[in-house]
Amino acid sequence: MHEISIAESIVQIAEAKAREQYARSIQVIGLRLGTFTTIVPDALQFAFEIARQGTLARDARLDIEIVPMVVRCVVCEASTQPVRGVCLICEHCGFPLEIVSGEELQIDYIEVDSEKEESPCSQCQNESQSRPMY
Amino acid sequence: MQPVPERISVQTNVLNANQQTALANRELFADRGLLVMNLMSAPGAGKTTLLEATIKALQGHFRLAVIEGDLQTDLDAQRIQALGVRAHQITTGTVCHLDARMVARALDSFPVDDLDLLIIENVGNLICPASFDLGESLRVVVCSVAEGPEKPKKYPVMFNKANVVLINKIDLADASGVDVKELAANVREVSPKAAIFELSSRTGQGMAAWTQWLQQAVEMRALAATVSV
Repeated sequence: MHEISIAESIVQIAEAKAREQYARSIQVIGLRLGTFTTIVPDALQFAFEIARQGTLARDARLDIEIVPMVVRCVVCEASTQPVRGVCLICEHCGFPLEIVSGEELQIDYIEVDSEKEESPCSQCQNESQSRPMY
Repeated sequence: MQPVPERISVQTNVLNANQQTALANRELFADRGLLVMNLMSAPGAGKTTLLEATIKALQGHFRLAVIEGDLQTDLDAQRIQALGVRAHQITTGTVCHLDARMVARALDSFPVDDLDLLIIENVGNLICPASFDLGESLRVVVCSVAEGPEKPKKYPVMFNKANVVLINKIDLADASGVDVKELAANVREVSPKAAIFELSSRTGQGMAAWTQWLQQAVEMRALAATVSV
C-alpha cells in the first residue's frame, strides 16, 4: 500500500502551493497518472481520503487523469499503445522500444478558494488582519 | 461573498521530495567513487542467500557494507554480520519499500569514505520499491525460476527499471517445471537493455559470471571517481 505515502505527498505538495497563494482551502487536485506506474487509482482515492484529513485539502476532490502508455521504436519510429501486456521489443524490427508516456505521476493543477487571506478589502481597500466569518 | 474557485497550475512530480533526497545521495556516492546497488525481488526469491554468496566472492577484493530493509526483525542483518561485513538494518514497520530519506539516515552509521560497494537489500516486494529512487547506480532485480516464467509480464514496471536481472534457483528449474530460456525471454521483453544472469546462489552455478561483472563495475566506478577529481 505505497498509495498511502503517495497520497501524503500529493496533499503536502498541494497544500504548499495553496499556501503560497494564500488560499484558504483546496477544492480540487488534478493529477496526471500514467498506466505504466505502480499506482492503482482506486487505492489512491481511498488513501487520499485519509491523507487529506485535517489539511487545507480536507474537502478536496482528487481528479485523476489517466495517461495511457505509448511506446515508440528507436529505429523504425513505429508508435504503439500496448493494450494487453507490455512488450518493449518492436514487433516490426526487433529493436528496443522507448517509453513516450505512461510513467506520469504529476500534480497538474489545484483549484482553491480564491479568497486571499492577506489581500485588501474589496470595499474599503483596508488591509485588515481580521477575517469575515462566513 | 461566496468564494470563487481559482485554478492554479502546479506541474510537480508527486515523488519530487524523494527524488531530491535521492539526488543528494547519488552525488555523495559519486563523489566517493562508491558503487551502490539496490537489490529488489519478491519475498522468497533468494535475495539474502544470493547476497551472502556475492559477498563471499567479493569481500577479499573490496570494502563492503549492506543496508537491509525489512518490515520487521534484524534477522537478515545478522546473517550478513555473520560474514564479518558491516550491516545496518532498517525496519520499516508497515511501509512496503525503502525511500531515499531512510537510506540517507542509515548512512550516518557507515564510514562512507571507506567503502567500495554498498548493497541495499530492499523490502521483498515487486511493486512499491520500483517507484522510489534511493540514489543507487545499479538496480538489480532477482527473480527465481520457482516463481514461474510469467513474473516479468506481471510486474513490468519493476523489471523495466532494472539494470541487471538475476534469474536465481536455476537448479530448481526441472522441479518447478519452468523453462529458464522462456523466463529470460520474458525479462528481455519488458527490459530489453538489462544484463541478465542465470544462476543458483545455493549451488554456485553461474555465480562467477555475475560476481565478475559486479567486480568490474565496482572497479570502473572507483576509477571514474579518481579520473574526475
